[in-house]
Amino acid sequence: MRMSAKKVVSIALVSMLLWNVTGCKSRPGGGDEAGKGSKAKQAKEFSPKYASDTEYKLSVTGSYSNFESLESAIDRFYEYYPNGEISYTCLDDYRNTIVPALAGQEPPDIYVVQPWMYGDEQFTELFDHAIDLSNPELGIQLDCIRSGVQWNMEQGKVLTLPVFATSYGMLVNRDIFEKNNLDVPETFEELKEVCKKLKEAGYPSPVMGANTTTTPGIGYAFSYPMFAKTVKEDRSVEDDLNQLLPSAGEVMRPSLTRLQEFADSGCIDVAMCAKEIEDDYNAVIMRFFEGDVPMMLCSGDVVSGTKKREGQSQAFSAHPFHYDFYVAPSGDEGGYYMDSVSMLFSVNKESRNLDMTTEFIRFLTSEKELGQMAAEKRLITPTRDYSLDEVYASLASFPEERTVAFRDTEILDGAVKQFRSAAYAVVNHDMTVDEAVKRYGTIPTD
Amino acid sequence: MKKREIIIVNILIVGLILFIIAKYANDRAVESNLASIASFEKMTTTTEQIVANYLEDEQHLCDIWANYINGSAKAGTPMTMDEAISYIRKAKISPEISGHLIFTDDGSMAGISTTAGSTEPSDYSVNYSHIPIFEQSKNTDEDSVLHLTRAYTNPLNGVQSIGFLNDIRILDPRTKKLRDVLMIRVVPVSRLEQKLVFLKGEWEHVEISLVDWDGNYMIHGKSLKNSNFYEYIKSYNPMSAREYSKTIDSIHGGIGTMHIKNSKNEDCVIAYVPLSGLVSWFLIAYIPEADLTVNRSIDWLILGIVTIGLMILLHFNLLLLQKYNRKLIVAAEAANQANEAKSNFLSTMSHDIRTPMNAIIGMNEMILRDSREEEILMYSENIRTAGNTLLGIINDILDFSKIEAGKMEVIEVDYNVVSLLNDVVNMVQRKADEKNLEVQLDVDEQIPGFLHGDEIRIKQVIINILSNAVKYTREGSVVFSVHGERCEEDADYVNLHVSVKDTGIGIRKEDLDRLFVAFERIEEKKNRNVEGTGLGMAIAQSFLNMMGSKIQVESEYGKGSEFSFDLRQKVISWEPLGEFQAAYKRFLQDREQYHVSFVAPEARILVVDDNEMNLKVFVNLLRQTRIQIDMAESGDAAIVLFKRNFYDIILLDHMMPDKDGIETIKEMKACTDTPNQRSPIICLTANAVSGMREMYLKAGFDDYLTKPIDTLKLEQMLLTYLPQELIAKVEKEKHRILIVHEKVESLRRLMGVLSAAYDVSVAKSLQQAEAFLKTHEVKAILMDENMPGGEEMKGDNVLRDHFDDLKPDEIMAKVKDFLQRKG
Repeated sequence: MRMSAKKVVSIALVSMLLWNVTGCKSRPGGGDEAGKGSKAKQAKEFSPKYASDTEYKLSVTGSYSNFESLESAIDRFYEYYPNGEISYTCLDDYRNTIVPALAGQEPPDIYVVQPWMYGDEQFTELFDHAIDLSNPELGIQLDCIRSGVQWNMEQGKVLTLPVFATSYGMLVNRDIFEKNNLDVPETFEELKEVCKKLKEAGYPSPVMGANTTTTPGIGYAFSYPMFAKTVKEDRSVEDDLNQLLPSAGEVMRPSLTRLQEFADSGCIDVAMCAKEIEDDYNAVIMRFFEGDVPMMLCSGDVVSGTKKREGQSQAFSAHPFHYDFYVAPSGDEGGYYMDSVSMLFSVNKESRNLDMTTEFIRFLTSEKELGQMAAEKRLITPTRDYSLDEVYASLASFPEERTVAFRDTEILDGAVKQFRSAAYAVVNHDMTVDEAVKRYGTIPTD
Repeated sequence: MKKREIIIVNILIVGLILFIIAKYANDRAVESNLASIASFEKMTTTTEQIVANYLEDEQHLCDIWANYINGSAKAGTPMTMDEAISYIRKAKISPEISGHLIFTDDGSMAGISTTAGSTEPSDYSVNYSHIPIFEQSKNTDEDSVLHLTRAYTNPLNGVQSIGFLNDIRILDPRTKKLRDVLMIRVVPVSRLEQKLVFLKGEWEHVEISLVDWDGNYMIHGKSLKNSNFYEYIKSYNPMSAREYSKTIDSIHGGIGTMHIKNSKNEDCVIAYVPLSGLVSWFLIAYIPEADLTVNRSIDWLILGIVTIGLMILLHFNLLLLQKYNRKLIVAAEAANQANEAKSNFLSTMSHDIRTPMNAIIGMNEMILRDSREEEILMYSENIRTAGNTLLGIINDILDFSKIEAGKMEVIEVDYNVVSLLNDVVNMVQRKADEKNLEVQLDVDEQIPGFLHGDEIRIKQVIINILSNAVKYTREGSVVFSVHGERCEEDADYVNLHVSVKDTGIGIRKEDLDRLFVAFERIEEKKNRNVEGTGLGMAIAQSFLNMMGSKIQVESEYGKGSEFSFDLRQKVISWEPLGEFQAAYKRFLQDREQYHVSFVAPEARILVVDDNEMNLKVFVNLLRQTRIQIDMAESGDAAIVLFKRNFYDIILLDHMMPDKDGIETIKEMKACTDTPNQRSPIICLTANAVSGMREMYLKAGFDDYLTKPIDTLKLEQMLLTYLPQELIAKVEKEKHRILIVHEKVESLRRLMGVLSAAYDVSVAKSLQQAEAFLKTHEVKAILMDENMPGGEEMKGDNVLRDHFDDLKPDEIMAKVKDFLQRKG
């Protein structure tokens, strides 16, 4: 009897161990890579390449003043290589100092890159200085990254490692829905229906958001994914859009029309939003934590600020509630998931300790580490596994056909700004949809 | 103490010693840790000095540049930007350090640098418009020599740097006017960090950070996370807003240390000290607490050695104890055997003496009851006294063995004080008379007549003391005093003070302590003719102790002694005793001579005893009860009768040959074909040692009666167990009187008057009367005064009178009065 109990315990422990060390490819959603067992095995557990007593000193530079999730990851790396130091430095005026820093006396080993930097001459050095992470000699398991956020350059080079992804959608107060026996809406029709019931239940503006021209603003968060989907479906307009040709404005019509419809549906009281939400970040979160907003339009970056502010909100501390992030239900068949990259790491090819730098990146490049970093930062993980942060759990099984991946479109910053301003004008009835479409390319963006 | 208890005590002692050692070691370690922390704090202060000196040096160099440039301006030859930057290029020695000059008067925060930007080797322009560092530099003390920025990113090369500031005046060649320019001596933070490397030797894991008033890092230790030190503390050390504020105030308040948790939830220590010359910058030294705590392995080693040593000692002691215990067990077994032998001896002695004593006292009782001859009665009375004395000695021994065994109990009953006093006085009066000693009674008239207490034991105590007084007094008197007063604390009780004062031989002071020691007799040689076992006073003292009192002795050797004790007794009736002598007489009048207490002619009992004499005694003692008594001389004979006849009670001896009483009763109890299944069986035994009663009851007997048989106790026991319907009251026997008169008519008349009240016999001559008296006992002889030769009839029972002249009622009164006076 004793022996059999020991056997059962042993088998259970071994099973748990095997289950826990399962690599990127064995995760759900990794069907296209199924069968590549050997690689999956390599990704199971980080296996140090160098002696544990290796001494090193690495620096990471970025624009976050606080990068606690990276510091946690560094601490975990120290468990394998305790005799070194990796410091994170937030550069002042990162946009203007990162390039001089790379050329300066104390160049960083790893530096932060953002998607909008690509194509901008000012930042060419950032990509020129980056090593190719796909080099097989480095052994970096990039296949744990979601295909939508993988950034492959010419000749299949991978110069950046996505660290955080982001999206646009809404924070949902689950308690309000449960209390009113309602399901979170998935289609626009359902949204209108739910909002009607919520209004009857005493919520004057069932949807709220920041009335700004910025990316977390009402118009952008609600309708940009739909706009991007339209572009994705007909990329022939992309060049005209990027060249801000007025004729390309027609591509905005479906999304702006839906936005107009949304603003007029009574689901949102824009005036109330403008009055009660002063900025597109802190005020959005604090207003949501008041507990009486069923849905709050925002971006993933806004969601990343919720964890810290839970304790700062007296209302939330007194009456905490469950909340999750969902895509805005703008389409007739459902919402559109913008799978965007928020931040990437590049490794400086001039690094004085390139071996340990790539070793650190190799360590980071796993579902576990990137997932944990994203969960701590409360941003969307760039890996396939969304399970580490339940706030983003709704994105895990999102249909592929309504997902707009990071590299599915190449809409440049100017075109994006035109859409943001158009959306803001439509929401506030400063322009009709026709006017906005017609004035594409010349809509004031300041 | 049992082995387990010894082990527990030893383990506790070992534990205590280990605890003390551990506590001592711990206290030393705590002291050492405190010293380490103090040393760490001191190191922090030293480091602060180094850093402060370095910063002052850098500031000084910056000030030299500024003074030179400003000096030129004051001298009327102000420098242009190009001249100034050219001067600084020459003045600065280190290539890592650069000088930036930026215009502040137009708000552009742009200017030129001594060094070109890292991306454009020909571009010396610099712009601080996007680097907000100058607001914070205002936090520095205005009186301070230091004017520096926080750590910031050098816009020309992206290197984290500190800027030392000074204001200079520069000539604008275009306008020919002087302009306000901010001069920055830009020093890489890494240069400052290099100054702190020396610390590694002392504490390997120490990390130095510099933070500003708001906690922003200038230099960042590896373990200190977040961009802000205070945020770091808050992130990993959950605390209330008040505690957080207090923590920040402590750091702002001056030099000190605090214990915090790091990001891995490990204990660590930080020492903080404000930087001299700056009101808002602090040096923070961080170290894992484990690095400051002393290595205690040596203490644990000592602790381990001591533990093992103590355990060896414990085992050694236990082995030694076991060895001694084995010897003690042997000795204890021997003592137990000796004690058992003593008990057996006492039991046997008690039994063997009491058995013949039963015959002696019983037969003597028969003589006393039946004989009318004064001389014989006197002899018989002497036998009774001697018998009782012998019985007293045996009882003393048995009492003492009971006391030793702890089985003596106080049995309280209601009792008559007069009766008690009378009994004790009676017991000693005869001996006192024999020695011509006067027994003086001094009894308080106010003592309540009925009390509640252990009458038997009180009587024994007083008799012991009185007997001793009479024994050891050759001439003079014995004064027996009893006084009483109501208890103050409890109104239902009376405090009796009993004392016996004699004019005897007295006791030496040095002998007083031995007075109450068992078997000790004072002045043995001198008093060897005085009978006694040496137990009396010890027993008396023990009895009094059990009743909450003790004997007090005052004695003067050669002159006499006084023994006294106080006794608290519950009062049943507060009616005063009155004058004791009168009460004594009254008591005597009230007390009747022995008369059988009941008759039960229909009752049938079986008595079993192997001693024929004892059977005779038993039958004779119960003769007047008219109970039908069957006798059996053995257990087997008894069982035959037990099966055949019904008996109301069976009295069974214990010690019998062949089949003893226990075996017999077992057989009787097992017997089913008997009419006596429910008949009570009483043990009649001479075995009176302590514990016997319980043993017999356990064996199946219903009750227990000791030999020699006390008639009253025997009758009382029979009354208890006999069926009520068989018990009849005793008809009072008429006094027999003999009337002697020569006239037949007179005899008839007198017989007519007296026969209703008395058993009357008549004689008309002296010869007839003498013949009658030879065979009959009479209470009174009524002799006519005119009877010829009547004066020859002597005796105190002869009543002479002229009965013919008296009326019938006068005759009755005279006879009654005569009989009463006679007693």
